[in-house]
Amino acid sequence: MTPDGLRDLQACFQAHVLHGDDGMLAQVDAGARPSASARLAIYANAYRLRLLEALTTDFPALHTLVGDDVFDQIGRAYIDAYPSTHYSIRYFARNLSTFLAETAPFNATSVLAEMAALEWALTLAFDAADDPVLNEAVLAALPAEAWSGMRLRLHASVQRHDFGWNVAELWSAIDQQQPPEPPAAYPEQRAWLIWRRALQTYFRPVDATEAWALDYLHTGADFAALCDGLCAHVEPSQVGLLAASYLKGWIQAGLIAEIFC
Amino acid sequence: MHEPHSEQRPYLGYGLGLRPNHYLDILAQRPAVDWFEALTENYLVPGGKPLYFLERVREHYPVVLHGVSLSIGASEPLNLDYLHKVKSLANRIDAAWISDHLCWTGAHGINLHDLMPLPYTEEAIQHVAMRVMQAQDILGRQLLLENVSSYVTYRASQLSEWEFLSAVAEAADCLILLDINNIHVSAFNHGFDPQEYLNGIDPSRVRQFHLAGHQNHGDYIIDTHDEPVIDAVWELYAAALRRCGPVSTMIERDDNIPPLSDLVAELDQARRIGTRILAREDAA
Ligand SMILES: [Fe+2]
Repeated sequence: MTPDGLRDLQACFQAHVLHGDDGMLAQVDAGARPSASARLAIYANAYRLRLLEALTTDFPALHTLVGDDVFDQIGRAYIDAYPSTHYSIRYFARNLSTFLAETAPFNATSVLAEMAALEWALTLAFDAADDPVLNEAVLAALPAEAWSGMRLRLHASVQRHDFGWNVAELWSAIDQQQPPEPPAAYPEQRAWLIWRRALQTYFRPVDATEAWALDYLHTGADFAALCDGLCAHVEPSQVGLLAASYLKGWIQAGLIAEIFC
Repeated sequence: MHEPHSEQRPYLGYGLGLRPNHYLDILAQRPAVDWFEALTENYLVPGGKPLYFLERVREHYPVVLHGVSLSIGASEPLNLDYLHKVKSLANRIDAAWISDHLCWTGAHGINLHDLMPLPYTEEAIQHVAMRVMQAQDILGRQLLLENVSSYVTYRASQLSEWEFLSAVAEAADCLILLDINNIHVSAFNHGFDPQEYLNGIDPSRVRQFHLAGHQNHGDYIIDTHDEPVIDAVWELYAAALRRCGPVSTMIERDDNIPPLSDLVAELDQARRIGTRILAREDAA
């Protein structure tokens, strides 16, 4: 078998695993029991079961929300639509929320895509980089004139999502093994913050102004620009106090990794 | 046949696979386990609990890295980014050694996340050996390659599995992680004699043994790692020790994972067999 032969054999086997192409039947011994097709089926079945198991691990609340049958249906359709392209199975599910948002009938409402987005964000927070957490004393030691030019770097685990459905409340109920309420749409989109502090992941709602401020910081804006921007949201006379109270809350929650002046 | 106290071969004793649901018990109980095998990809993440616990465990036990994503037999170029990440993880925890599987895991940029068998041909030997040498160059150390369980025999194969494994190890000057359960599984599935397999392996290349359980479906066995090691595999383990001498041994359990104490007890069975066989060999 030439190197091209090896390449063709692997492509052929993979086509069997992914799509059931039967070219592979001619490539394997058919003599002994079990049959060649039964032997090949072991690989095709194991492929799906392994990836379904990865989804089950990463999306427990989505699983509970839709039940075993629909979760299996979602999983198998996702496996076909987004085969893994990462060396680690850890990242296989990274497109699940996108898939649910773009695929009927799962996109009849956005609740499934949003639950998948929340659970994926929790997995990303779980093993995000071990950033430092800024101590309040560092800020206190900063001369007042340094404030306007300072930039804040958010902790690597910090993520912002807007949800139209009560997926975070559902997640908490499911996590605490309470019977979840039926999914409900919020009157309008609500902003959520997901992060990790030490080894514990957290999420909490944030109001629209604070969400805007965090998103703006994420773009690398300095504190003066942040205060300017806040003028569009609150009375200019309240901006300084509001910005200072946000900053204090963020530092206490462990959202800020570093300050640069 | 072997050199029982060869200074060439580092020997760690009896180990277990490091599994997240055992982290707290390992740190609280410090079980009588000589070393742990960590699944490489589980720790190729930026931070958080996995790396935290790996480092805490490493403070008390030697650790080896066991990967599933090298895809040493694939047709596409080796993933150098992956290899560099493995190298830096190995440096970070001072891993005793690094292993992966003699298999391929995908084509056309897709990862099947499965250990797909290779055809046992001269060309495949050359192809894989070149890649092993490239990987060893990057890692700066010898790699251990493990025999996988398989369910199909390719018509293209011209050699036995043990001839193929031995030839790759020889051509690339790499080491072997001999999975005793996989020999049993593949012997059953393909109808060969497991002892003949053992006899075909150069003991001086064997750095580690795997033991595991499986599911027997009557006319085939699936390698599931979800049950205790069966008697036939313990017997084959004894035969492997007779042939190879002291080789670091661990039990793989990946599913239906019992409490840590159950696995420590199962590992003691390996220890008893090892002590018995190796004492006899020493006396002989
Ligand atoms: Fe193994």
